[in-house]
Amino acid sequence: MRIARTTKLLVEPPSSATGDIAFNLIVFFLVCASVQPDRGRLQVLPTSETADEKQQQTENIEVQLTRTAVLVNGDAVPLARFPAQIKAALAAKKTPSEKVVIVKSRPDTPYHHWIRVTATIEDAGGIITLQLEEEREVIVP
Amino acid sequence: MKITRRSARAEVPSMAMGDIAFNLLIFFVILARAQDDSHLQWTPAEAKNLQNATNSVVSVLIDSDSKLYLNGQQLGISQLAGRVESLLEGAPSGERPVLLKIHNEALAQRFEPVIEAISEAGGELVHIVEEDRD
Repeated sequence: MRIARTTKLLVEPPSSATGDIAFNLIVFFLVCASVQPDRGRLQVLPTSETADEKQQQTENIEVQLTRTAVLVNGDAVPLARFPAQIKAALAAKKTPSEKVVIVKSRPDTPYHHWIRVTATIEDAGGIITLQLEEEREVIVP
Repeated sequence: MKITRRSARAEVPSMAMGDIAFNLLIFFVILARAQDDSHLQWTPAEAKNLQNATNSVVSVLIDSDSKLYLNGQQLGISQLAGRVESLLEGAPSGERPVLLKIHNEALAQRFEPVIEAISEAGGELVHIVEEDRD
């Protein structure tokens, strides 16, 4: 007796599960996209004070920032030499109040330059304080 | 002659469940994006010795057009200190981080008043930058 061979070549996958598969894929990629944590630098600034209260600031290091350059106590310093110079200047300072570095920026100083310099100061042990020009309202008679 | 009433069973089509879930997901994603700042255009600056930023309820951003945003909503510099202070209300010292995202080409005349306002509000600044690999 001869048995007839049955051939089932076309087998379709169940289409009812595709919605669930798509949903799980979306959740997977969403989780992947959202788990990247932000990285950054913590910066603690001393509380603000007015110009009258700053007698001892004359002894603090003053760093001026222009668009591309850095000036330490009024003298221009090449950017490559700045980390070593600020480290040497801060090494002589002992108390936290002496380690305060006054940062003055020209209005056209870009942020990438500012953050690089302030990060270098903090890494050298300095405490950043910003000196901003106050806006004054003048009434013209 | 008595005709028996046929009872028809009404079923919710299960085929549509995936599509419903998908649309719900899209709805909540859009809702969440309206409150964060991931849709804003900015390029982070680079710095060394970075640490992982802690979760914060306050995120301040200056985008490539120098516009200021607080948690994804545009505002003026005069409103910033008050709004940050109210968001951080009651948080103890050491748990008041403010994520600060500044476009790398933003100028000091724009970002320094922002830093000052956050400081005034008692926020602890965390500059969001990328690792400098040079």
